[in-house]
Amino acid sequence: MTGWAVRAASVLAAAGLWQALTAADARLWLRFDRLPTLDEIAGEAARQLVTPVFALDLLQSLIRILTGFGLATVAGVAAGIALGRSPRTRDVLLPLLEAVRPIPAIALVPVAILLFPTDEQGIVFITFVAAFFPILVSTRHAVRALPTLWEDAVRTLGGRRLHVLRHVVLPGILPGVSGGLSVGMGVSWICVISAEMISGEFGVGYRTWQAYTLVDYPAVIVGMLTIGLLGWLTSAAVELAGRRVTRWLPRAARDGVS
Amino acid sequence: MTAVLPAVGAAPAGIGFTLEGLALGYGHDPVVRGVDLDIEPGEVLVVVGASGSGKSTLLRALAGLLPPAAGTVRAGGAEITGTSAERAMVFQDDGLLPWRSVLRNVELPLRIRKVGRRERTAAALEWIDRVGLAGAEGKLPRELSGGMRQRVQLARALVAAPRAVLMDEPFGALDAQTRAQMQRLLLDVLAGTRATVVFVTHDVDEALLLADRIVVLGGPGNGHGIRASFAVRGAGRDAGLRDRILKEL
Repeated sequence: MTGWAVRAASVLAAAGLWQALTAADARLWLRFDRLPTLDEIAGEAARQLVTPVFALDLLQSLIRILTGFGLATVAGVAAGIALGRSPRTRDVLLPLLEAVRPIPAIALVPVAILLFPTDEQGIVFITFVAAFFPILVSTRHAVRALPTLWEDAVRTLGGRRLHVLRHVVLPGILPGVSGGLSVGMGVSWICVISAEMISGEFGVGYRTWQAYTLVDYPAVIVGMLTIGLLGWLTSAAVELAGRRVTRWLPRAARDGVS
Repeated sequence: MTAVLPAVGAAPAGIGFTLEGLALGYGHDPVVRGVDLDIEPGEVLVVVGASGSGKSTLLRALAGLLPPAAGTVRAGGAEITGTSAERAMVFQDDGLLPWRSVLRNVELPLRIRKVGRRERTAAALEWIDRVGLAGAEGKLPRELSGGMRQRVQLARALVAAPRAVLMDEPFGALDAQTRAQMQRLLLDVLAGTRATVVFVTHDVDEALLLADRIVVLGGPGNGHGIRASFAVRGAGRDAGLRDRILKEL
């Protein structure tokens, strides 16, 4: 069998096992009798896919993640460069950032609810914090790992600080930063879904938790699969973008990116 | 804003350097100390010396990358306080930006000077052709051999018509045959400019081939200053010159 056939068989076998256990209402030590069968899940998915609420939830979660992640990218890269290049900035910002960094973003939910006028802003804030630190840390490391030779070269060609920033630092850190962006996107999803479950009015996370409280288990599974699919698509997009902008790396180093 | 770009061949006059009581490095044990040296506008000065004699350090000071620990460095009468496009540098290796194509690397100094796209592309292509790389404009540095990369560095250093070119063992990492090719290319290319050249090497034969004048830096049992100076141009085929230089190393 070819590799692809093995992979397809593996997925089909897992799905078959699920179907067998749930259809037989198996109560081993794990209780599969409460979980929906594949046809129940498929029916629920088919029903939901055509409803406007599903599209609205999807859009809402995507807007939240893209806003939070986008802001975190800008802020994380800017702060990472400043920390990597300016000792003064390091003295001012580093103690604050190091004090906040160990706190998981999701633990900030109560503060976010108190701090922001709307839940919407609070959720975006949580998503932002989640992605900010991985991006910041990877940017700072990438800046410090830049060979000084490139900067020397640009300076002896007449380049000033802004030229060095634009022609050396920003392109030079991309391979390192793209790894941070991938990690950031992953934690962003964890946090946006958790925050939606706690305090949303729309969104895939909110809908999934609501389905659970309404004892609509097929809808819970559909929500989970939707979240997984969205996470996979956005991570793939970040990875693809990362590969496109680091084509100048030797192949081996490029495969190590992200 | 468009800078006026001199045509290839119509290069500006070279710039002279004056070094007085120059010490470079940190703390009580500078790498280079007590250097007094005049470099004439337009001359090709080759600095030779053993490893650790401070040749590259001296070059970095001329570039404005390293401030003096003591003494002064002047270029064209003005004290050097930082880098300038007038003093372009060629590094031993890896001085190219790896994410920029050959063309984009060569045109970078013109882009920094805000020369318009069409004009800078034309000038860059002309220089790429002069260093024998026509057809390789779109290649990335990692796709080039060591010799080709140094050709790109040479084109990039010269494209904006600097008044001095500082070369830090530019052919040190190349095999003997490529090295000989590059030396001939350098002589050809320099014939079309009036720039002052300061060339650092540990290879005396290379120095003899390229130099108007050779200075020996450092040396065994000596301090870290200029140990000896030899006029080369006009010396003819002086068989004893090579031996006298080697004796000072």
